[in-house]
Amino acid sequence: MKALEVSHLQVNFGSRIVLSDLSFSLAPGEIASLLGPSGCGKTTLLRAIAGLLQPSAGTIRLGSQLVGVSSVVLPAHKRQTGYVPQQGALFPHLNVARNISFGLDKKIYSKQEIADITKEMLALIGMSGFENQMPTELSGGQQTRVALARALAVKPKMILLDEPFSALDAELRNELRSDVVALLRAQGTTAILVTHDREEALVSSDKVVLMRDGKIAQMGTPEDVYESPSSPSIAVSTGDALVLDAQKFSNGSISYAISPTVNQEMPSESGFVVIRPEEITISKAGAAGVPATLIQLDYYGHDAMLVLKIDNDEKLIRARLSGAIDFKVGDAVSINHQGPVRYFATL
Amino acid sequence: MPVVADVISASQTPSSKRGLASPNFALNSAVALVLAFTLLPFIYIALRAFEKPLPEILDLLLRAKTLQVLGTTTALLLIVVAVNIFFGTLMAAGLHFIRLPKAHLFILPTILPLAIPSYVFTYTWLALIPSMSGLFAAAFILILTTMPYMLLAILVSLRRIDSSLIEVARTLGLSRTAIFFKVVLPQIRSSISAGALLSGLYVMSDFGAVSLLNVETLTVSIQNMFKASYDRRAASVISILLILASIIFISFNEKLKDSTAKENISKRLMAKNTRINNSGLKVVLLLSIGIYTLLAVVIPIYVLISRFIGNPNPIDFARLTETAISTISVAALGAFIALLISAPLGLLISTHAGKYSRFAERVILIGHALPGVIIGLALVSLGSKLGPLYQSTLLLAFAYALLFLAKAVASMTSALQLVPSTLKEVAATLGKSKSRVTTSVVFPIALPSIGLGTLLVFLTAMKELPATLMLRPTGMDTLATQIWSYASINRFNDAAPYALLLVLIAAIPTFLLSVPRNPGEKVESYQ
Repeated sequence: MKALEVSHLQVNFGSRIVLSDLSFSLAPGEIASLLGPSGCGKTTLLRAIAGLLQPSAGTIRLGSQLVGVSSVVLPAHKRQTGYVPQQGALFPHLNVARNISFGLDKKIYSKQEIADITKEMLALIGMSGFENQMPTELSGGQQTRVALARALAVKPKMILLDEPFSALDAELRNELRSDVVALLRAQGTTAILVTHDREEALVSSDKVVLMRDGKIAQMGTPEDVYESPSSPSIAVSTGDALVLDAQKFSNGSISYAISPTVNQEMPSESGFVVIRPEEITISKAGAAGVPATLIQLDYYGHDAMLVLKIDNDEKLIRARLSGAIDFKVGDAVSINHQGPVRYFATL
Repeated sequence: MPVVADVISASQTPSSKRGLASPNFALNSAVALVLAFTLLPFIYIALRAFEKPLPEILDLLLRAKTLQVLGTTTALLLIVVAVNIFFGTLMAAGLHFIRLPKAHLFILPTILPLAIPSYVFTYTWLALIPSMSGLFAAAFILILTTMPYMLLAILVSLRRIDSSLIEVARTLGLSRTAIFFKVVLPQIRSSISAGALLSGLYVMSDFGAVSLLNVETLTVSIQNMFKASYDRRAASVISILLILASIIFISFNEKLKDSTAKENISKRLMAKNTRINNSGLKVVLLLSIGIYTLLAVVIPIYVLISRFIGNPNPIDFARLTETAISTISVAALGAFIALLISAPLGLLISTHAGKYSRFAERVILIGHALPGVIIGLALVSLGSKLGPLYQSTLLLAFAYALLFLAKAVASMTSALQLVPSTLKEVAATLGKSKSRVTTSVVFPIALPSIGLGTLLVFLTAMKELPATLMLRPTGMDTLATQIWSYASINRFNDAAPYALLLVLIAAIPTFLLSVPRNPGEKVESYQ
């Protein structure tokens, strides 16, 4: 049984179609990322799943329960979906403990049980002893942790995270993200993470859902979407990518600016190839490969991004190099492509 | 259709076509009921007025006396509003932009006159200069009275201006004067217009000051007609004129407002070192604050205290206490009723923007234009049909609630709007129904602001004079009516203890209002 099944979902804002014919599903315990530029509809999809807005067509099913069709909607407060919005949105008038226990119904849980769950949640997020702090006294990262604990405390069918880390600085962001993902995995919670950060999407999830203009452009495991993009423009949204003009020949071989082989026949079709910068290798001038000149070097510490100009051509190639760099700007070099040739007829 | 059936049984609330945010039936009905009550006085006044034959109505409206009174009212209104806009804007801008040590201490004395009603101002100045009388004297008093409304409105919006806008303008080479006109003024235009609205409506509905200074405005005419001849139909005709004048003033004011201006809720407050540090300007600012404080606080309080001390007659403390208690209780009851009936309106306007809520807002705004004398007249006229309610404390409290409903609704709406919608959504995903979200999230967060708004209504109700004079139960006095009855026969010494007590009580909420705080700051600052 699926934990979540969205089929042919459409959402309109007035006359504008925000989501159209959108289908996907999640297995229990699966973590998915919704990745796309702002305005592509990822938050809208999340809100439709949470029951915060009404779809115009299609269905949403949580487990075996149908929760959303266009004519009737199970309201948000009966869906048992945990929701962690941007920056947490803690209740400013309640302390940490009462924020976490906010969703625990006093008719179902005894006072002692509520206290126990709160304690357990605080321990889970590594914030034991913060019971009586007010939200204003917490750092951004702590606020996000408490918001997550508040959502998990009610044992939701699934958790929806809407760019929860976007307001944090890079270091804290990475640390908190891996904590949260580890926590969700340990709890076996099905989750959807909305993000516009491509690395965040790849590193956190079992399934990446790439969205464009209210539709799913591609969906698959992080490796799938990174290694086998469905189009050059999709390739760009999951990581740095070089898009080069290419010619396809009748025998099936493909030629492009830095292709290992050069074909003398007339090409039967022209298109594009997509290359990841880390698939480019660089060696000293004179070695086998395409001669080029290094014109720019951006050093990031853990790796470096090199911009190379192919001699006899105006084409610029970007390459990623890790480890020690023994080139400097102006050097003549040879470049090779060692990786899959991803050919596309159109962009 | 088994699938659809299981959704319906689980939800029991098929949502309407208008989406999830459509207001529920109970809220709509509550609002409709409140609106009906608000409109009741109007309808009644109109019905009474048109009991007169049309030629008589026209005769009454077009006679020289009526036109003269209308002219006086308009002149008074224009003078007060113009002076308020000019000096209010300059003083507020000075207080905001010029660097002063402990700046908020300089704001307090300019806000303090809120605690002093116009009739107390008039009587203290009359005690000092007995010959004071006429249009300009009334304008002087009403400027002193209403200036704080202007200052408060402008100061609040000045605080919301993002100081980086000003810094950017400076780096683009604009002089400070140019920045004031091109950057600051456009952003405070709406609040200048709001301040003008408040002071203008105060002038139109004022009875105490104008009456003591022998200036006949529409409000005074109505009260006189009501008192002298008990010709309530004639009074109703003049009331309609006053309501029309108020509506014209409000709609003119609406035009001034910049409807496209979006509230810029900026977290960047003005840094100390960006304030102007010019000694010449400082002297001018301190001088104007000093003069205003002297005229509107020091002199009135001095007169009150010296009259209080110099009073040869013994003070009847039992009567003073009794009057204070009845004033506080009836004003508190009025504020409480206003709080209760403003809640559904605030909820509707803050969460369900639409045609219906806009209509409700308009009706409430018209209610704002309703001078106390008209509510009084309507309720007195209805009185005979109200049975035991007539001349009861409850009816007077109800009149206060109707009179100050616009204030209550405005503060309720802005308090509720400060609650971020994500908080409501999170609460919903945690299993709270709409009504539970309202009670456990929205109201607790909005409570401080709602409390402050209620306090404001209480303060205003305590000072109310014309409706109180008409509607108070026989034998009951409020501080306002006591001050009035002594002052109108020049027994200033006897009025002093009542006036001092009223000012003292009213100063407490005024002080709270002047403390610079933004109820939303806490919510915003950590998000």
